[in-house]
Amino acid sequence: MGDYRGLNVRRDRGGCCPPMDLMRSEAMQLVRIIVPVESAHLTLSYLGDLGLFQFKDLNADKSPFQRTYANQIKRCGEMARKLRLFREQMAKAGIAHSEMAMTQTRIDFDEMEIKLGELEAELIEVNSNNEKLQRSYNELLEYMLVLKKAGEFFYSAQSSATAQHREIEARQIGDGSIDSPLLLEQEMLTDPSKQVKLGFVSGLVPKEKAMAFERILFRATRGNMYLRQAAVDDPVIDPISGEKIAKNVFVVFYSGERAKTKILKICEAFGANRYPFTDDIGKQMQMISEVSGKITELKTTIDLGMLHRDNILKNISYQFEQWNNLVRTEKAIYHTLNMLSLDVTKKCLVAEGWSPVFATSQIQDALQRATYDSNSQVGSIFQVLHTKESPPTYFQTNKFTSAFQEIVDAYGIAKYQEANPGVYTIITFPFLFAVMFGDWGHGMCLLLATLMLIFREKKLSSQKLGDIMEMMFGGRYVIMMMALFSIYTGLIYNEFFSVPFEMFGRSAYACRDPSCRDATTDGLVKVREAYPFGVDPKWHGSRTELPFLNSLKMKMSILLGVAQMNLGIILSYFNAKFFSNSLNTWYQFIPQLIFLNSLFGYLSLLIIVKWCTGSQADLYHVMIYMFLSPTDDLGENQLFPGQKTLQLVLLLLALISVPWMLFPKPILLRKQHNERHQGQSYTVIHNTEESLEIEEDHDSHDHEEFEFSEVFVHQLIHTIEFVLGAVSNTASYLRLWALSLAHSELSSVFYEKVLLLAWGFNNIAILIIGIVVFVCATIGVLLVMETLSAFLHALRLHWVEFQNKFYEGDGYKFAPFSFALLADEED
Amino acid sequence: MGLSMTTIIFVVVGVVASVLVRLCCNRGPSTNLFHLTLIITATVCCWMMWAIVYLAQLKPLLVPILSEGE
Repeated sequence: MGDYRGLNVRRDRGGCCPPMDLMRSEAMQLVRIIVPVESAHLTLSYLGDLGLFQFKDLNADKSPFQRTYANQIKRCGEMARKLRLFREQMAKAGIAHSEMAMTQTRIDFDEMEIKLGELEAELIEVNSNNEKLQRSYNELLEYMLVLKKAGEFFYSAQSSATAQHREIEARQIGDGSIDSPLLLEQEMLTDPSKQVKLGFVSGLVPKEKAMAFERILFRATRGNMYLRQAAVDDPVIDPISGEKIAKNVFVVFYSGERAKTKILKICEAFGANRYPFTDDIGKQMQMISEVSGKITELKTTIDLGMLHRDNILKNISYQFEQWNNLVRTEKAIYHTLNMLSLDVTKKCLVAEGWSPVFATSQIQDALQRATYDSNSQVGSIFQVLHTKESPPTYFQTNKFTSAFQEIVDAYGIAKYQEANPGVYTIITFPFLFAVMFGDWGHGMCLLLATLMLIFREKKLSSQKLGDIMEMMFGGRYVIMMMALFSIYTGLIYNEFFSVPFEMFGRSAYACRDPSCRDATTDGLVKVREAYPFGVDPKWHGSRTELPFLNSLKMKMSILLGVAQMNLGIILSYFNAKFFSNSLNTWYQFIPQLIFLNSLFGYLSLLIIVKWCTGSQADLYHVMIYMFLSPTDDLGENQLFPGQKTLQLVLLLLALISVPWMLFPKPILLRKQHNERHQGQSYTVIHNTEESLEIEEDHDSHDHEEFEFSEVFVHQLIHTIEFVLGAVSNTASYLRLWALSLAHSELSSVFYEKVLLLAWGFNNIAILIIGIVVFVCATIGVLLVMETLSAFLHALRLHWVEFQNKFYEGDGYKFAPFSFALLADEED
Repeated sequence: MGLSMTTIIFVVVGVVASVLVRLCCNRGPSTNLFHLTLIITATVCCWMMWAIVYLAQLKPLLVPILSEGE
């Protein structure tokens, strides 16, 4: 098997730091595989099992019908359709298909196709037979109803009908001759041959149409009919529509042929089913027994038919999953085969695609196995290509890190091999969440909930969960980290469902004198050293609690924010080092660092100095007048000697760094482009991102036009964004204070105004109600709503304030051809 | 328990944690560096939080004034 490596795409990149898992995406290479046609299917099958190769579509310009394996895909589509039919039928019959009964016998694809076809035909036949039988059964049931019900009122109806008819006739005849009415009566009474013979129609009509039915019959026959109806108690299954409808049994008496045809047409129009009825009582009994017999017969036949169908479906259910998987993988293989281009000689297929460098031996192994298993004479060729195309981004994550990586990917997939913020997000995201959520009681509840999910991991991962549950289960490790950090910050804020505890030593404050007279006017005094861990418990509930905590939390937010933004800028340095981009290092990283730290780093320093010295300086005043009148004397706002000079120096540095960020980079870029353009490639070019060996084709550089104004505007936008962003991003971190305040206030309101209030009544019923309300409010508002809220804000801080210092995020994700991923996709 | 004492405690906890993690899951140099980074980040975050709250209470400008009915 010929395998020779071409030039490696990766070149020796910044040896500044040792490699770290997940920090940069895996090194990828563009690979060309040449496969003989006979082993193509097996090769793809093995590569699909491996799941580390992303195929490029080499036939992108062809329509789906022009591709080589279009027929195979059609076959697979047919089989998928049959399988869907089976699934529907099984769902209707209420048979669940057994999950993953993986009998490892490899089924032959063609055999399966034939079997599926047979099963489908059988199933369709059985279904249609069942339907026919069911219809006859329903008709017979209706007939039975007619026989029974009509029999009850038939004779009375008949006599009424006859009487009415005679009346009508008498009226018609009686208009003419006044002379001999008596005679006529006598005639009618005595002449049996003139006995009126009425015809009748019997059947069932839907109850809701019964009134309209009667009315139309009356109009059509000009009142020359007698209709009698009786309601049927239970709804009847209509043979034609198959639904249960409430119906009435009716008998219509008429005379004359014309009336008969009209009535028949009306019955048809109203969907009234007609059934024959005899006036002969003897025959009636016979009919009833005959129909009952037929009904029981049909019932047995139908039951047998259903049993047969259920058997078929059950047999299908044992193998359904396996067939489904096979069809799916075959379809995927043929789709992928369609992406390969057929060589001129038609003897082999050429595949191009991306794969990680570390997977090379695995892929070559798979190719070898496929050659061997398909008894092919010729082996496959594996060849690495070099290209200027940007490779896909691939991070190897495990079940713990994958959730965090998804959070980062949701904003933008990392560019190939740029620094991955996910590494730090694993810790800083739950940490910032916890700063906003700090309460160790709530943290413990969250931890319990997520531990339940984690302990039942295996069982839950194979089940199908609802949407929300799916998200929570997917993020179980994120929530666990969030809960752990929340417990820590809760201990620091000293809040357990808003109740403080004196756990870490004695509080620093005590009353001035033993009687504590001044406690509510002048307050306590600091008698000992500061409380060793966290917020002193005496603050809670005092009148100066909010001013103190607000000041503390706002300053904390600024300090944490400046720290995270500095981390972002430092990551941009590592990126510049890695891609050997010294322009970025000198003319972007350094001025940015100087600008941010001379302003907000200085503010952080002032905060710490003020805390350490206990000075009463007004920091707002200091910062604002540093800009407005830097040469003024500081007076009582002086925190340390030499402050004025330091402020002047820092202001100057900040002012210089703005043009430093703006001007040099575009100018130098233009200079470099001109050098390259003039073919003076002897000078080592610092700023190229491709290997020197690829510099062979100069022509391809010509189409990289250099538009100075564009580059300058781009740099201007970047500079303005950074400078203005420095202020706005720092202020944005104040949301850490805001949400933390909201959480602690809500928590203390629920505790004091619900639980303590209920406790105060000394009544057990009110106490129980109070506890229930407290629990519901805590779970609903604090544990669900506040969690989501803090989650969202921590996410925003990461996506915007942290990542805009260094992250480009315009890469594309590695999407390998993998059977495991197919299964997830379909679900 | 001053500032420096507790800071040393935090450092010690960080070192112990990284040693434990190295002992339990030693999976190659890049993975070890990754675990070390995570632990250092966590230690630094936790220490910063504690230090900020501690420093703010060293020489406070306010004292607790109890509310009526305590």
